[in-house]
Amino acid sequence: MRKVAIYGKGGIGKSTTTQNTVAALAEMGKKVMVVGCDPKADSTRLLLHGLAQKTVLDTLREEGEDVELDDIRKSGYGGSLCTESGGPEPGVGCAGRGIITSINLLEQLGAYAESNALDYVFYDVLGDVVCGGFAMPIREGKAQEIYIVCSGEMMAMYAANNICKGIVKFAEAGGVRLGGIICNSRKVDNEKEMIAEFAKRLGTQMIHFVPRDNDVQRAEIRKMTVIDWNPKCVQADEYRQLARSIDANEMFVVPKPMDIPQLEQLLLDFGVLEVAA
Amino acid sequence: MISLLDQRKPQVHVTGAQPFAMACDKQSLAGSVSQRACVFCGSRVVLYPIVDAVHLVHGPIGCAAYTWDIRGALSSGPQLHRLSFSTDLQEKDVIYGGEKKLYQALVELIDEYQPKAAFVYSTCIVGLIGDDVQAICKRVAAEKNIPVLPVHSEGFKGTKKDGYRAACEAMFTLVGTADTLGIPRTSINILGDFNLAGETWILRRYYQEMGVDVVATITGDARIDDIRRAHGASLNVVQCSGSMTSLAQMMKEKYGIPFLKVSYFGLEDTAKALYDVAEYFPENPAILTRARTLVAREIAAALPALRHYRQALAGKRAALYTGGAFKAFSLVRALRTLGMTTVMAGSQTGNAQDYDHLRQICDDGTVLVDDTNPLELAKFIQEKQVDLFIGGVKERPIAFKLGVAFCDHNHERKIPLAGFEGMVHFAREVHDSVMSPVWQFTRRPAETIQPPALPGGTGIAALATEARP
Repeated sequence: MRKVAIYGKGGIGKSTTTQNTVAALAEMGKKVMVVGCDPKADSTRLLLHGLAQKTVLDTLREEGEDVELDDIRKSGYGGSLCTESGGPEPGVGCAGRGIITSINLLEQLGAYAESNALDYVFYDVLGDVVCGGFAMPIREGKAQEIYIVCSGEMMAMYAANNICKGIVKFAEAGGVRLGGIICNSRKVDNEKEMIAEFAKRLGTQMIHFVPRDNDVQRAEIRKMTVIDWNPKCVQADEYRQLARSIDANEMFVVPKPMDIPQLEQLLLDFGVLEVAA
Repeated sequence: MISLLDQRKPQVHVTGAQPFAMACDKQSLAGSVSQRACVFCGSRVVLYPIVDAVHLVHGPIGCAAYTWDIRGALSSGPQLHRLSFSTDLQEKDVIYGGEKKLYQALVELIDEYQPKAAFVYSTCIVGLIGDDVQAICKRVAAEKNIPVLPVHSEGFKGTKKDGYRAACEAMFTLVGTADTLGIPRTSINILGDFNLAGETWILRRYYQEMGVDVVATITGDARIDDIRRAHGASLNVVQCSGSMTSLAQMMKEKYGIPFLKVSYFGLEDTAKALYDVAEYFPENPAILTRARTLVAREIAAALPALRHYRQALAGKRAALYTGGAFKAFSLVRALRTLGMTTVMAGSQTGNAQDYDHLRQICDDGTVLVDDTNPLELAKFIQEKQVDLFIGGVKERPIAFKLGVAFCDHNHERKIPLAGFEGMVHFAREVHDSVMSPVWQFTRRPAETIQPPALPGGTGIAALATEARP
């Protein structure tokens, strides 16, 4: 079983990319479980065709310790297994602790047991690694490989670089490794080349460049992944390619985060200051 | 031989050494196992004796359990303060926030006990998850029409002293909320006495006899309604400088009420306290006259007993460790009255000024310690061949393990040690412990670390039969 965590700046498309990739893996015949680690609980909406599911923490809160795995884990597209940590409303309590509690409970309930015959577990974690709780999926060997979703926008690259610092910290103790950067294109000038170079400087690879395509939106509004909605469209093949690259990936590294001047120089080298012709 | 941690060395000073420099007033050194309590505990012990308020600890159950009925503060009326209420925060509350639970607990407690006010203590976890305790308190105060006061005492945010300050800030919001009609000019508040074993009552009696009105006792046997009108008093008389000076300071700034720092431990200090208060009311010389009569009578009554104890105790060596430094000053003098010398003195919360004063009243060669720990205490008790250790509940086992007499001068004392009669009690306590025959069966601390190299010595048996000086 490969344990994968997806990180990246808020709004970069982590959940969309994760679910579309999971759909492609499922299509390849892989058994995949998705653990949403975001209090908003919207990491499995496309696989489940809606937000119908009760979260782990809501169930724990309402029904006490007597939770069954079936109460909190539902089957989604292509036999994928979907679960959402959930958590508090904005501004109250501690969402980080929620993720810790929820992953512990999933373990207790046997969500990761051999009998599930899982090929993959995907953790979809919100935004930056703001506190210890959000680092939970990369601690204690829960996730072994990390992919960072990034674009050619400066703040997305800052965030990716920052997440690498977190990975370095946990790589020493827990053995977690960076598997690559997924570029989710925002149509920035020279984006593909810049992110490829960015990945190289971090000591890793750009595992795939996902072009911007409005079909993603069209599928999303129907609460579906692209493969589910229109398996024949061009974008579906992009996610299939990403899934194959991840499945075949053998490059797992401890990243080398850049310092800020280096990062800014990279942006300058790739022409952020140049006026479009 | 126990050695000091390098970073602790600036907080230890042997009097007589030049120049005098002592680090203090800082966070405890991590890993040194400080004898100090946390911020929350500081707030809890200061507010605990307010007898007609609900004290609700917002946190996991341990915070409330370990401070339940923490001091022997007596009440002449309600006993509500002796209960320890907790919101018992658990995992789910941490994740989803404890505000609803806090609201429910407050409403339920106020309906059940009809208190005059409620104090809500913030603990570490509340500081981390960011519950808006203030907003909940405000809401319940409006609904129930009583003061509901948040105490910002998150355990990690500083030292015990910050807890004292948080408690004073909470009480200060009460002061000035009731009218002061009928309070005479010759009136005081007693600050920093906690009515342990009924000590506040002794002080009240003295002031009553002198003709001085006591408006509020903060917080020994305190009532919320008295604290609300405490701004009507002419003078704040502050004992236990560590805990209450900040409240006195705030009342001085806002209401122009001056304050005196006093101590009621020992004959000299008690007499000085009463005289200082009397002299504050020069327009009423009868107060001073009555104070003189009182002091003369009480000292005359105490002296025969003290002489008796002094005979047995003269020349014995004492070590003391207190919360605030003011008590340490008093104890050095009180021990001198009994013919004893102080060979080690320290406090949890003393400041630079305090230690400078302590240095001046102690003999040369006295070890001064700030924010010490069990190992250091054990070291100096052994090296200084101490006969008596004075401290609180956390110090007691250290003394007994080392086979040294102990006197509890803190929360758990069961007999009053304040005032003139308190001095007699203190002398008896010290005498009974130091002179107890039990010590002949223990080995002297110094001997356990430095066995005498007598030719043909017979080891433990020889040590045990050796008479104590």
